[in-house]
Amino acid sequence: MDAKLWASGLEAPRPIDGAEIVCRSVTAGYLGSQVLHEVSFTIDEPSVYVVLGPNGAGKTTLFRTLAGILQPYQGEVLVGGEPVDRQTSRDRLHYLSHVDGMPDGLRVREALEFYARVERATDSDVERVLDQLEIRELSGRFMARLSAGQRKRVSIARVFLRERSIYLLDEPTTGLDPKVAREIRALILRLSHDRIVLYSSHNLFEAREIGRYVLAIKAGRLALFDRIENIRSSRFVLGIRVLEPSDALAGFEREGEYFLKELPGPEQVPALLGDLMSRGVKIREAREMENPLEGLFT
Amino acid sequence: MTSSSSSEGPLSLLRITVRRATVSGRFFLVYGTGISVLLGVTLAAFSGSNSFPSAFPLFLPIFGVVGSMGGLVVFSNDRTKGVLEYLIAYGVSPRRLFANVLITSLVLASIVVSVAIGVGVGVYVAKGHGVSSYLALALGIYAIPMTLASAAFAATVGVYWTALSSPRQGLNSPIGLVPFVGILPALATLGTLVGLGLSGKSSTEVFLIVLGTAFGLIAIVVLVLLGMIGRLLRRERLLSPA
Repeated sequence: MDAKLWASGLEAPRPIDGAEIVCRSVTAGYLGSQVLHEVSFTIDEPSVYVVLGPNGAGKTTLFRTLAGILQPYQGEVLVGGEPVDRQTSRDRLHYLSHVDGMPDGLRVREALEFYARVERATDSDVERVLDQLEIRELSGRFMARLSAGQRKRVSIARVFLRERSIYLLDEPTTGLDPKVAREIRALILRLSHDRIVLYSSHNLFEAREIGRYVLAIKAGRLALFDRIENIRSSRFVLGIRVLEPSDALAGFEREGEYFLKELPGPEQVPALLGDLMSRGVKIREAREMENPLEGLFT
Repeated sequence: MTSSSSSEGPLSLLRITVRRATVSGRFFLVYGTGISVLLGVTLAAFSGSNSFPSAFPLFLPIFGVVGSMGGLVVFSNDRTKGVLEYLIAYGVSPRRLFANVLITSLVLASIVVSVAIGVGVGVYVAKGHGVSSYLALALGIYAIPMTLASAAFAATVGVYWTALSSPRQGLNSPIGLVPFVGILPALATLGTLVGLGLSGKSSTEVFLIVLGTAFGLIAIVVLVLLGMIGRLLRRERLLSPA
C-alpha cells in the first residue's frame, strides 16, 4: 500500500483550517441514560489523540457525540467554533465507526461510490482510494461476500474519499492483519501532520506507537488528558535481550528471552546498559516491559 | 440530507436506495410480482369474463405490500450495519432516511402493480375481453391507490417498528411481520365494502366514500408519523449496537 496519502495530481493537504474541537461539560448517552458525564477538553493541535478506556467506559459514545450523531443532554461540542450539528461542522469531520458501516446489496466500488455521492466526492476519488488501500481486486465483489477484515479496509477507504480537518476513528485497525494495520497506522500518522485525529484502540502498543496525546475515559468521565510521554507506569521494568548469556545477568529475573530489572525510572537506563556492556554483555535489545498506558485500564 | 448538501446528493441517495432495495429485497419483489402475475394470468386465461375484473384488483394491494418490503430490508440492514449512523454523521436527517424508505417502498409497489396489471390485463384482452369501465374503475381508484397506500402504511409502521425494537432477523422480525400489518388497511377496506354490499348498501357513492375515508386515514397516519419522527424516533434508535 502506498503510504502517501494523497495521490499525485491531487492538491496537497492544506493546513488545518482553523478546526478545533471544544467539548464543554458534555453529558451524553442513549435514551436518557447517561454514559458520558461532564466531559470537557479542547483539541486544537494537529496530532493523534488516542482515546483509551475499558469496555463500556464511553469511548464510542464520545466519538458519536463528537461526530454530531448523539446530541448531548448537557454541554456542547463545537467544531471550528460552531455547533457540531451544523453542516459546516459536519463537513470538517470524518467519522469511522467501530462497525464497518458498509451497505449490503452493493459491490465494493458501488459502496464507495454511494459514500462518494453522500460526501460530494468524485469518481476519481473512488479510483484513488481503491489503489491507495489496495482493494481494487475486491471492487467487483459484493460487500456481503467480504471477510470482516476486507470490509474494514473498504470502510477505511471511505474515510479517505475526501480530505477533512478532523478524523474520528473508532478502533480503525480492529480485525485487520498486522501488515494492513501497520499500513493504516502509517496513513494515519501522515494525516496527523496537519489534521486532528482521534483514535481509539484496545492495542496499547499500537496506541503508544501512534499517539502523541492520550484521553483516558473511565466510567464516562475524562480521567486523563496528557501527552503520552508524560504518563509513567507505577514501576519501571526494563527488559534486556542479549546475543549470548552472561554471568553479569545472574541476578536478573527472566521472562521469555528477556532479563528483567526494575529501576526507579527511565533515567537510570543508560547507566545500567553502560554498566552491563562494560562487563561484556552483548545487548541485542532493551525495552520497557510494562506499557504505561495499561494503568489507564485499571 | 440537509439543504447545504449538493443537489445531486438526495437524489443519488434515493436512487441508490431503490437499487439496493431491488437487490436486498429481491425475494419479496419477485414473490410479490410473481404471485400477482400468476394470479392475473390464471384469472384472465382460465376463468370467466367476470372473475378477472372482480377478483384481480382486490388482491393486488396484498402482493404490492409484499413486493415493497425491500425498502424496509435496506433500512433494517443499514441500521444494524451502522450505515444510518454514517449518514447521520454526514448530515442526513432521520426524516430524510424515513422518506427514503417510504419512497423506495412506493417505487417497489409500483413495479409490482405495473407488471401485474400489464401482464394480467394484457392476457385478459388477448383472450378477447374488453376493458370494462368497472375494471378500469376497480384498478384506477382501488387497486393502484390502495396498493400504494398500503405500501406507505407498511413502510411507516415498519420503520418505527424496526427502530423501536432490538435488531433481530427471521419471521419474528419486523420485516417478517410487517407484510401482515401492511395489508390490514386493504383488508379492512375490502371487508367494509363487502359488508356494505351484503347489507344492500352498495353504490358508487358509498364505494367512493369508503375508499376516500380509507385513503384519508392512511395518509393521516403516514404524515403524522413522518412529522413526528424527530420526536418519536430519536437518533439513538437508528444506531448500530455499541
